[in-house]
Amino acid sequence: MQLLPGLLLTLLACLGSVVAQASHAELVRLAASNGGVIKLTPTLFNALTAPNREWSAAIQLTALSPQFRCSPCTEFNPSFKAVAKAWSKVPAEQRDQHFFATLDFLEGQDIFKRLGLSSAPVLQFYPALEGPHVKPKSQRLEFSYDFNRHGFAADGLAHDLSSHTPVPIPFTPPFNWQPWFFGATFLLLSAIAGRFAWMYLGEIIMNRWLWAVLTVVLSLVMTSGYMFVQIRGMPYSQRGSMIAGGFQNQYGIETNLVAALYGLLGSAYLALILLVPRIPSPTRQRASIYLWTGIVFVLFSILLSFFRIKNGGYPFKLLL
Amino acid sequence: MTVLKLPTFSPSTLTNAASLLRILALAAIAGAAISSRLFAVVNFESIIHEFDPWFNYRATRVLASQGFTEFWNWFDPTAWYPLGRVVGGTIYPGLMATSGVIYNILHALHLPVDIRNVCVLLAPGFSGLTAWATYMLTKELKDESAGLLAAIFIGIAPGYISRSVAGSYDNEAIAIFLLMITFYIWIRALKDGSVLYGTLAAVFYYYMVAAWGGYAFITNMIPLHAFVLLLMGRFSHRLYSAYSAWYAVGTLASMQVPFVGFQPVQTSEHMAALGVFGLLQLIAFVEIVRSYVASKQFQVMLRWFLVASGIAGGLAIVGLTITKTIAPWTGRFYSLWDTGYAKKYIPIIASVSEHQPTAWPAFFMDLHMLIFLFPAGVILCFKELREEHVFVIIYAVMASYFAGVMVRLMLTLTPVVCMAAAIALSSLLDTYLSVEEPARPDSNGVDETSAPGADVPAEVTVSKKKKKDVAAAAAAAAAHSAATTATKAKTKPSATYGIFGLDTRLVVIVNAIFMLVMFVLHCTWVTSSAYSSPSVVLASRRPDGSQNIIDDFREAYYWLRQNTPQDAVVMSWWDYGYQIAGMADRPTLVDNNTWNNTHIATVGKAMSSSEEVSYPILRKHDVDYILIIFGGLIGYSGDDINKFLWMVRIAQGVWPDEIKEPNYFTPRGEYKVDDQASEAMKNSLMYKMSYYRFNELFSGSPAFDRVRNQQLPREGPKLDYIEEAFTSENWIVRIYEVKKEDPLGRDLKTANAFDGGKKRKPSKPTSRRRALTA
Repeated sequence: MQLLPGLLLTLLACLGSVVAQASHAELVRLAASNGGVIKLTPTLFNALTAPNREWSAAIQLTALSPQFRCSPCTEFNPSFKAVAKAWSKVPAEQRDQHFFATLDFLEGQDIFKRLGLSSAPVLQFYPALEGPHVKPKSQRLEFSYDFNRHGFAADGLAHDLSSHTPVPIPFTPPFNWQPWFFGATFLLLSAIAGRFAWMYLGEIIMNRWLWAVLTVVLSLVMTSGYMFVQIRGMPYSQRGSMIAGGFQNQYGIETNLVAALYGLLGSAYLALILLVPRIPSPTRQRASIYLWTGIVFVLFSILLSFFRIKNGGYPFKLLL
Repeated sequence: MTVLKLPTFSPSTLTNAASLLRILALAAIAGAAISSRLFAVVNFESIIHEFDPWFNYRATRVLASQGFTEFWNWFDPTAWYPLGRVVGGTIYPGLMATSGVIYNILHALHLPVDIRNVCVLLAPGFSGLTAWATYMLTKELKDESAGLLAAIFIGIAPGYISRSVAGSYDNEAIAIFLLMITFYIWIRALKDGSVLYGTLAAVFYYYMVAAWGGYAFITNMIPLHAFVLLLMGRFSHRLYSAYSAWYAVGTLASMQVPFVGFQPVQTSEHMAALGVFGLLQLIAFVEIVRSYVASKQFQVMLRWFLVASGIAGGLAIVGLTITKTIAPWTGRFYSLWDTGYAKKYIPIIASVSEHQPTAWPAFFMDLHMLIFLFPAGVILCFKELREEHVFVIIYAVMASYFAGVMVRLMLTLTPVVCMAAAIALSSLLDTYLSVEEPARPDSNGVDETSAPGADVPAEVTVSKKKKKDVAAAAAAAAAHSAATTATKAKTKPSATYGIFGLDTRLVVIVNAIFMLVMFVLHCTWVTSSAYSSPSVVLASRRPDGSQNIIDDFREAYYWLRQNTPQDAVVMSWWDYGYQIAGMADRPTLVDNNTWNNTHIATVGKAMSSSEEVSYPILRKHDVDYILIIFGGLIGYSGDDINKFLWMVRIAQGVWPDEIKEPNYFTPRGEYKVDDQASEAMKNSLMYKMSYYRFNELFSGSPAFDRVRNQQLPREGPKLDYIEEAFTSENWIVRIYEVKKEDPLGRDLKTANAFDGGKKRKPSKPTSRRRALTA
């Protein structure tokens, strides 16, 4: 009699493991049928992240349908797929201990709600909790992939995940033929075109004023904080305000405004130096001198007032 | 025809007067440049500023007291404890050698000057020389009057002052002078095709290599200039002699600096110079052969030979790079081109504030009106387009890009902006100060009287009054040239174009002078308010407007110096390493010479882990004291909690499994220190040390952090493994002592709990705490 409960327990345990086994086999089949990525439903999600799982899983929680307009999601999806595909090349023994899966917001709103997610994409890693391959407790952490640190690209993802998967992911970034191909074609074409166009375009390429304009535009753009906007990824303008607060801060539109101001001021001086002395009529010359000087004065006042917005303590001002 | 009659002098009088005026103007400019950099001394005292200068100062003291050989062999066991640092082979010794020489000369003249004052005043002194070098270079581009304008611009432009105020004893202090003088001599060498000047350029280049890591700018600018001249079809034997002399001598000389060693032939940064050198040899060879063999077929063959060997040379460099014989670009250099590189791979570089990109207000702040005269000047360079103008154009493009990428490189942009702006402004003054008036197109010359004669003395007094200003010097020079042309013009008909009337001239000149006055006011304001703070001593304003000096740093460093054993190891974040070594004279784990990322990450890990994890690390590194900077009480924003994320990031780079940046944020991704702060944040050693006993100051009401504007948890952190040793007056510097292992073998947490449980026990170790409250 005393044997019975024990027997029952063993049976149950067997049954449990059979269920687990079945669902594991199911997961392997699902993964294989979809290029290494399991398309999840809420029930499958629960099965994959069951507390007695003997496998680890990397789950992409995303919103790919166009109505959500989630551009990072569409940007990240190909990288995720590429890494999952690379994983499917691992020998079956190790491969089946780790799964890549994806859950779309349309399919599993409840899961999103349960995890308290308000943004997408999120890549959640679930380590194995039972079975022979389980890691020591200190390394058994659920974590979400850090996009800021490793980026959206596939190699960063593969590199970061490799330290958590049973074996490192054999991901090699596909060789990018495109720039080489286009580069070579471009070089060839431009060499041919250059050879034939030299007689017509030679004058233009050798024209110093073309180069002068290029040089000046480049330095104007650079001295108006273009690289700051590029490196920091600043928006062009935000919520209708064109000027970012703070001395070490600016929006994209400020680059244009300031470069234009500098350019106009510089050309006003150039006009005074180069153009005005060549005006043959004294009256017209006098008028243009007053005009250009006035322009310098007004533009400089605008520039100063602009600077005062950025730097509140600046004590000097003109007109404005 | 002239608008007003100038008194006539003999040509020799004019020349003499002009050159005397020039010398006086240059002297006045040097005086202005030096004195405007003394705000820091006047406002505070003669003190070394910031961080790196403290190391330079310490090294200079070694050099001055022990001689050059000892300095060269100096191994510093107190830095990077326990590794130590070979100082002689890991620094650019030019700066220390310069002050050492000056110090010795002064002492030989029996002027007993303190080495500290030599160091403090070195940068202002060299700024005077920079002004002179800029004058010489701009003179080559246009004329003396433009040179004088450029000299005063560079003398007082905040972009240069920011790195050369008195006390800012850093490599840049002499490097900008060396940059300008090398460029000037290079231009002279190129103009004359002189091997002597080429060699002289190499000598100054060597000095530059010995003084500043930014020498790579010259290493690439001169070859780029030569290369562009080649592309423009301006190969000449002058170019060949100048470049070959500069490259051969300069490269050999630069390899004598131990820190540089074989880099000039082994790294990609220097390959452009080598490549252009090879190309010039090939072209010169082909030119010589061609001058002897005239046949057409042979010339075609030569051209193909040139192309083939050029391609072969290029491929050889690429091949050597691939096989790693030539080292690829170093991270610091590479991150200038690939701007995302540093953030991803070398967070330690990205973490430095002077390596951030530059927003436009910084350009305007540092250069004011020069920034919009600059493009005008570049256009005027295109108008002339001699060899030296090509140089300025390339310099302008490169420097404006670099300055946009890194705030720090604003320093290299400033000289070229000053030169170009001076060219533009001096062209303007030339045009409008000339008394020449063109012939009127309509022959009824009645209109001439409309130019009011009353304005004549007014205009003269305006220019007389400004005699000490550059504008006056420029005006005098222009007037002089105008007068000489005027004497010539007697025989010739009047110029075909120019300016009519006096009022027109007056409007433009007054506007220009007004702009110059604005510029001077701006420079003075920026220099005195923004760039003259030593950052070791802070100043704030009391509500009644009087100045309040916050001297916590020195207070704490002197406490360390006087209250701890000489060999007590102090751990702090790397920013403060040089200051601790310089002012407290104690060994440090890491300092501002960030050569060992792992060691810095170790400190980062100790700061960002919990006490239990940190304690073994601290003990293994023999740390006796931990020094942190805390600004929460008085609102000093440059404190360690604000730098904390960089510690986490750098530690994460080495121990990605143990330290994870997201753990230090709240679940909503915010960086908080209040009740919602994450567990990792609250348990980190840095957090605990910063806020330990902080709420006692607020006597019951919740403590408030004035930097982050957050209320702290009611319950302050508890410390088991370390104890507070010292806190400075305004709480900016806090020093903790690391406890030794418990004599009974318990872990310190248990021991502390045991002690805490028997509070009334008389043997409670409170002596140190009492010292604090006293």
